[in-house]
Amino acid sequence: MLFNSLSFIVFLVLVLALYYSPIFNWTSKKRMLLLASYVFYGLWNPPLVVLLWISTMVDWTAGQKLAVEENERKRKGWLVLSMVVNLGFLAFFKYRDFLLDNFTSVVNTYGYGYQAQPMDIILPMGISFYTFQTMSYTIDMYKRKIEPARTFLDFALYVTFFPQLVAGPIVRAKDLISQFYEEKKATANQFIWGLFLLTVGLFQKIVLADTLLSTTADDVFGSNKLLHGVDAWVGTLAFSGQIFFDFAGYSTCAIGIALLLGIVLPDNFRYPYAALGFSDLWKRWHISLSSWLRDYLYIPLGGNQFGVARMYAALVITMLLGGLWHGAAWTFVVWGGLHGLYLILERLQRRYLPFQITAANGIFLAFLTFTCVNITWVFFRAREFGTAWNMITSMSFLTSDGEKIIETFDMWKVLTVVTVMFLCHWFMRNTSMKEVSLKTSPWVMGVIWGLLFFLIVIAQGSGEQFIYFQF
Amino acid sequence: MHLKKTVIIALCVGLVAVGAWELFWRSKGYFPDLDDDKHLWAINRAKVDKATSNDVVLVGSSRILFDIQLKEWKALTGIQPIQLANAGASPLPVFNDIVENSDFNGTVILGVTPPLFFSTTYPQAPPWSRAGSRTKFYHDRTYAQRLNYSLSVPLQNTFALLSDDEEGWYDDINLKALLKTIKMEKRTATPDMPPFYRFQDIDIDRNVRMKQRVVTDTAFAGSIKKVWKFFMLADMPPPDKDGTIVFFLKDLKKFQARGGKVILVRLPSSGFFHDLETNVFSRKDYWDVLVSQAGVPAYHYTDYEPLTGFDTPEWSHLSGPDASVFTERFVNLLLKENVIPNAKTN
Repeated sequence: MLFNSLSFIVFLVLVLALYYSPIFNWTSKKRMLLLASYVFYGLWNPPLVVLLWISTMVDWTAGQKLAVEENERKRKGWLVLSMVVNLGFLAFFKYRDFLLDNFTSVVNTYGYGYQAQPMDIILPMGISFYTFQTMSYTIDMYKRKIEPARTFLDFALYVTFFPQLVAGPIVRAKDLISQFYEEKKATANQFIWGLFLLTVGLFQKIVLADTLLSTTADDVFGSNKLLHGVDAWVGTLAFSGQIFFDFAGYSTCAIGIALLLGIVLPDNFRYPYAALGFSDLWKRWHISLSSWLRDYLYIPLGGNQFGVARMYAALVITMLLGGLWHGAAWTFVVWGGLHGLYLILERLQRRYLPFQITAANGIFLAFLTFTCVNITWVFFRAREFGTAWNMITSMSFLTSDGEKIIETFDMWKVLTVVTVMFLCHWFMRNTSMKEVSLKTSPWVMGVIWGLLFFLIVIAQGSGEQFIYFQF
Repeated sequence: MHLKKTVIIALCVGLVAVGAWELFWRSKGYFPDLDDDKHLWAINRAKVDKATSNDVVLVGSSRILFDIQLKEWKALTGIQPIQLANAGASPLPVFNDIVENSDFNGTVILGVTPPLFFSTTYPQAPPWSRAGSRTKFYHDRTYAQRLNYSLSVPLQNTFALLSDDEEGWYDDINLKALLKTIKMEKRTATPDMPPFYRFQDIDIDRNVRMKQRVVTDTAFAGSIKKVWKFFMLADMPPPDKDGTIVFFLKDLKKFQARGGKVILVRLPSSGFFHDLETNVFSRKDYWDVLVSQAGVPAYHYTDYEPLTGFDTPEWSHLSGPDASVFTERFVNLLLKENVIPNAKTN
């Protein structure tokens, strides 16, 4: 089920009515939320709910065993079981054809003439998100960082909680399970703020991403020609805005919906396009994934504890795997690799060319970071290296006869939206929507909120899927 | 911040703005209607899976969509046909889907619009993909999408402001369509398509009727003619007569083997389309070849006096009232020749 759909509105109203109904006690409400979460997922593809159940059962069992088991070998065995099942799901459903393609290519370079049969397996929506979430529970249990979930119901709800089930934020057990222990009820202010966040998220998705930016991005990346430099840049900027509004829009909706239930989810984005460098970017973009990768990959690989060379290696491996997490294609690996390279260059700059960031050079630095991020988006969005290379060539203005495919109005539309987005990120980089709202008159806030609602209604949208569902 | 005050103001502003928007468009002549989209097509395709050997399915391009009126057909035979034709599309993907993915063994009336029927069997080519994407959607649609559509129908039937047709009409009034109408200095070498205004209404059974304005407003009809010329004079790949006929005959054989019947029909056209279909897709080289190889009942409108003499205001489709008359005459002809099921006598 998509947040930007009519069925979700009906679903949410029903869930809220039951949640705030006095006929249920807290345990019954949690059962209702769990059932609703399975319905939310199952309305997309009912049989794939089984994967959620398996993941839940395996990690619940592993967690219970890890809570009491003292034998380190057995503890490791339970951890490995969780990893094998969760990563096995990912490998089978997400990476099977990719691995098979690469295996075939390698084998055929030796002249075997092997022909693989792609299985054309459906990718379960949000599998990368919920497998990472359940694995974090088992790993934290293994490291004795958290207490086990008190009941199976609490754990199952943690794995399946519908607001963040299919595209995050990837919430840690300590941040979410404990909220299920005591009855939760949104205060009037939390409820209204939740509705506001839901409106903002839908506005980002339906109006900004789908209505104003997606067509230009699709046209440019759908072209297999060398383009005029301006067109290539405008298409890339359009995608840059589209993916932010699409994904941040989902996260904002998720946080708002959870808040309607009195559950607090962590921020997933903090105005990332105003980042001053790439370390800062990853503290602002898809925060729940970058912190997951930091805690469960970068630090176990050694982090910065074993010298510079090992740190750089850990950084690059983390970013390469982070790229692969997004999709089973080498273009995603290159995207991750570029980010790894940027992070290394930034550390070298800090070491050998340190300088003070001031108000004057800050916006320039943010713009430079944003520009470099845009180059990485080319590999993220292009489905093939040929397209990516054409785009990079065009963006470098290395071709004199690149084709113009974007009309003047579309060009200005994208440039206006992206410029406003960049400036908003810059002015908001050290604050939050909540803080700004507290200083704003209810009249101004009300009119803005009403206009966002109006624009959502007139944009209508055709229920486009969120980009990150495919990851 | 006073959130309660904020939400009340937001609600007022939002509702007033949406209300004003709805009234504004109604004052411009818009009214609540359905969109011809993949969801509507899919709920009608689903009827085929429950259809019996007495049922009739209409497959083809826009002509059979406009020219055959379901109510008139039902009035004469007691059977309401299932309308699965797609504007601007080849009928072959839909017929193939019925043959391969259903047990239907009733009657298929297949409209032959030569530039589309004989166009291609290449899945990515627009005449194929426009229909193929709908058959694919029918099989892939999720329960959530079905539920969304059920919920959207009453809203589409209530609010004029809801307009999101897949065709992307020039006069659609969603935000994306409105922004598309803003023109600035031309930057690309791509020729601009003339404004393509919506010129038909559709109901939940996909019965399509031409808007009366096409008949009464010659400038409006002229705007549609310009679009036809734009499409037909664009660089197009040559027709694939042999490939399309072979593809069709293979499906036809399989369909007939399980008891299904197919009737081919060539519906009226005039002006530019008639000239194109006479000169480029000549009857002798295309229609006659298809009919002789298929060996099924086939009706070319020029062969039957009751089916001739109709005006096609924009060269390709009949007006609503003419479509009703045409349907009655066509069904009577089929009944007389006993080639379609008739629940009224059975």
